[in-house]
Amino acid sequence: MGSRWLLLLLFTLTTSALLAQSPPQSQSPPPAAPGEPSVQSLLDRIQQLENRINQLEERDRQREAAQASIAAPPSPAETPAAPAAAIPAPTPGPAAMHGEDHVSMGEIRDTERRFPSLQIRGFGDVDFSATDQKGSISGFNLGQLVLHLASPLSEKVSYFGEVSFTAQPNAYDLSVERTIIRYDYNDYFKLSFGKYHTPIGYWNATFHHGAWLQTTIARPEMVQFGGTFIPVHFVGLQAEGNIPSGGLGLGYNVGVGNGRSSFLSKAGDSGDSNDNRAWVANVYARPSRFYGLQVGASVYRDKLTPQPGQNFGEWITAADLVWAKEKPEFLAEYANVHHRDEATANTWDSQAFYVQLAYRLPWWQSKWKPYYRFEYIHKPEDDPTLLNVLDLSGSTLGVRYDITNYAAFKGEYRNTRHGVDQPRVNGAFFQTSFTF
Amino acid sequence: MTAHWKFASRVFALSCLCLALLSPLAAQRHDVDIAVVVHPDTPVSNLSLSDVRKVFLGDRQYWSTNVPVVLLIRAPVARERDVVLKIIYQMSESQFKQYWIAKIFRAEAATAPKVVYSNDIANQLITAIPGAIAFVDSKDVRPGTKVLRVDGRLPGEPGYPLR
Repeated sequence: MGSRWLLLLLFTLTTSALLAQSPPQSQSPPPAAPGEPSVQSLLDRIQQLENRINQLEERDRQREAAQASIAAPPSPAETPAAPAAAIPAPTPGPAAMHGEDHVSMGEIRDTERRFPSLQIRGFGDVDFSATDQKGSISGFNLGQLVLHLASPLSEKVSYFGEVSFTAQPNAYDLSVERTIIRYDYNDYFKLSFGKYHTPIGYWNATFHHGAWLQTTIARPEMVQFGGTFIPVHFVGLQAEGNIPSGGLGLGYNVGVGNGRSSFLSKAGDSGDSNDNRAWVANVYARPSRFYGLQVGASVYRDKLTPQPGQNFGEWITAADLVWAKEKPEFLAEYANVHHRDEATANTWDSQAFYVQLAYRLPWWQSKWKPYYRFEYIHKPEDDPTLLNVLDLSGSTLGVRYDITNYAAFKGEYRNTRHGVDQPRVNGAFFQTSFTF
Repeated sequence: MTAHWKFASRVFALSCLCLALLSPLAAQRHDVDIAVVVHPDTPVSNLSLSDVRKVFLGDRQYWSTNVPVVLLIRAPVARERDVVLKIIYQMSESQFKQYWIAKIFRAEAATAPKVVYSNDIANQLITAIPGAIAFVDSKDVRPGTKVLRVDGRLPGEPGYPLR
């Protein structure tokens, strides 16, 4: 008999434990009779009413504060009223404050957007490098300090700007990297004017100057800032948008501009070097069935005038394949640069590509992201335009560690060969990059 | 001894029955569907899940030529945000923040989603801002908002993808 009571006790305890696992709201409400509100719905209603009372109290407080402010106008340093205390409002930490606008109760009735509303974001990095190349000097250097400005001017007009400060031996080089004013007609047509990163391939139009944005320490050499393989910057006008294509997710960029200046690494910020406009067209697909996949193709046409009387036609064709997620991340890009001397009709073709693979490890709070990149450049030795471009074959093996949501540490080993029949160079590179 | 076993087996069967009945109750709180709500004048009533993703990724920024999309998202820790990050963005919290910083930096969007701290605020903003869209616990949807079908289904219907 005692064991029966023991079993009954066990049954009671089991049932109680099960009930205890469900939330408190689901413990008490008995099933409601048909046509009668359930206890749960009444509890929900009470919660709504409590919230409503809190809102009304908050409005009263704000009204009183507004009346008080009429008597004594607030100083610019004063902050708006906090949300009602009873409303569960997580304290916005530094992480939550970045990249997102926050709406408090006081702003609900003031929903009109304000123009212009300037947002400034900064990027920076500090680097260390050491290689076994003869004559090279190891040491630290400051990377670029980049300021990014974004400001909607109206519902359909926005401004974007990017300036960089780059350390030079005896000064800092200030450069306007991008300055764009854009009019959005709709998702299919957005027209902008200014200075862009030329939409050739994927990297150049995606990562820009903030090293924190990219997985690796450095850009691939084919799209390196200050390089001449492709024109990194472009001054002119650009139309962009989506192409109605259902699940295929097509988009485009089409631009007309100055093209390269007489210094081929520079865009024609202050004017074109000839009377011929450059143009660029880029089409990409982001299929909705394969979220993260992007496939793109680009064409660029220009006439180069490196010196008066010297004219070269330039055709650049490029293609890219990207899996823009982190488990894994895959980037691959190829470009062919075709030059034709208009005086002699001689032609030259140079090729470059890179393949980069990275994977965000699921352990240690997903802070580690190892990566590998292979890159290759081939240029005919007698191409008279790409004088600063060397053949390249190189591998980069590294890891990125995200210290916080807004700062990362990266370490890389590189093994590269520049030029033909040159020895390979080994190097170790470290970088801490951040946004603020 | 046989009687004891009979009694024990009855208790066991009864326990299993109770467990089967109570488990859905316990799980119910965590399976509440998340509704996609928009301003009542928004010219859509049904979106595929990939269209919802396109909107929240900032790849679709206009409902129509004159009605821009205004994204509202709950603050961290809210269940609505967890569901959005897991199903729509397929990103962690830090990836989500980095995504929007990069999006603005690429000049592809002028502003990031606005963060709201409660479903009540979300409901009020939805009714006040033309083009606004938010995720709200389906229990907390208020009159004056419009609930979108996702893949042809409303919250509570079998196969609804956001829960």
